[in-house]
Amino acid sequence: MALERHVMDPVEKVVHWVLLVGLLMSVALMGVGMVLGLVRHEGLPDGVVAPQHLWAALRDGDAAAFLTLGLLTLIVTPFLRVTGSLVAFVRERDGRYVLVSAAVLTAMCLSVLLGRA
Amino acid sequence: MTFVAIVAMAVFAGVAGSMVGVGGGIVVVPMLTLVFDVPIKVAIATSLISVIATSSAAQTVFVTKGLTNLRLGMSLEIMTTLGAIAGGITAVLISGQVLQGVFAVVLVYVAYTMNRRGGDTPAERTGVLEASFVDPVDGRRITYGVRRFRLGAFLSFFAGNISGLIGLGGGAFKVPIMNVVMHVPLKATIATSNLMLGVTAATGAVIFYGRGFVDPRYAVPAALGILAGARLGPRLAVRLRSQTLSLIMQVLLVVFALLMAVRAAGA
Repeated sequence: MALERHVMDPVEKVVHWVLLVGLLMSVALMGVGMVLGLVRHEGLPDGVVAPQHLWAALRDGDAAAFLTLGLLTLIVTPFLRVTGSLVAFVRERDGRYVLVSAAVLTAMCLSVLLGRA
Repeated sequence: MTFVAIVAMAVFAGVAGSMVGVGGGIVVVPMLTLVFDVPIKVAIATSLISVIATSSAAQTVFVTKGLTNLRLGMSLEIMTTLGAIAGGITAVLISGQVLQGVFAVVLVYVAYTMNRRGGDTPAERTGVLEASFVDPVDGRRITYGVRRFRLGAFLSFFAGNISGLIGLGGGAFKVPIMNVVMHVPLKATIATSNLMLGVTAATGAVIFYGRGFVDPRYAVPAALGILAGARLGPRLAVRLRSQTLSLIMQVLLVVFALLMAVRAAGA
């Protein structure tokens, strides 16, 4: 059966690629972390690595550091998706949705700031 | 072994979540707390991370097929995110038990109306946020417009609000708002709701991460398991008839209503 195929518009392409790359990086980092944990017989850590120690721990090949970075990549991906949409709408000169994307991003950041308090 | 059991649970949650546009928090939170004895806040943090994974993975399929209405989703995301912020304030002003009781009744009513209308809404052109997709079941191109945008946006605020209050992504509220109120076809509704879940969950996850509730022992197997499930779900969803999806959605709404009624009763 020959189905009509959907042709992605520029904004859809950006969303698709940001999410795909974010996901693949996140899975790869968690995969490396799990393999390192298995090799060293440490199992999974019960906490994440603090940001200030993350870089050093990554260079030491610490399993927890790779798992932490994988989880962080996953969490940040939707923020990057909205940022990517914003850039794509700017390039499309779609003023209304530049404003909408900016409003979503602002609301997300506002929510994070208020939640920390 | 706990790791394998959590992966298995997450695969199931991933299939369910990506098929009906509900993030899977309904499955993950009760399972982790009841079966694995995980503290509630760690369970919610794990659930939020799983929901992000479901959303990102399912979108790579839904966007390619043109099922996601990006412009509609992003317009409503403003309202759901603001609603989630206000949720913190509402939680103080109104008893959570009262709110959950009211929503349990609303959910049953929505499940009933979906049943009476024979499943899906007919696609109509309205000139508002129009989009089109090819129905993968019969290969027909479906062009639809949005109805009652303002009412839908207004209600989305409360969907974000309640999802903030009870710690779930809120797909169970977004789906009826778009499908029943705004007349968006069910497949486009599910894809668009799934997109919006990612934003709600990521915002919540950053807060929970900052407060130290993300535990890799649960978050990593849950994320990987739900990813496997979420790759599977859309493939099943695009082949299923809308009536079947609608039935699954109705059953979930009733289960959700019962859970909320139990909580509202203070059990």
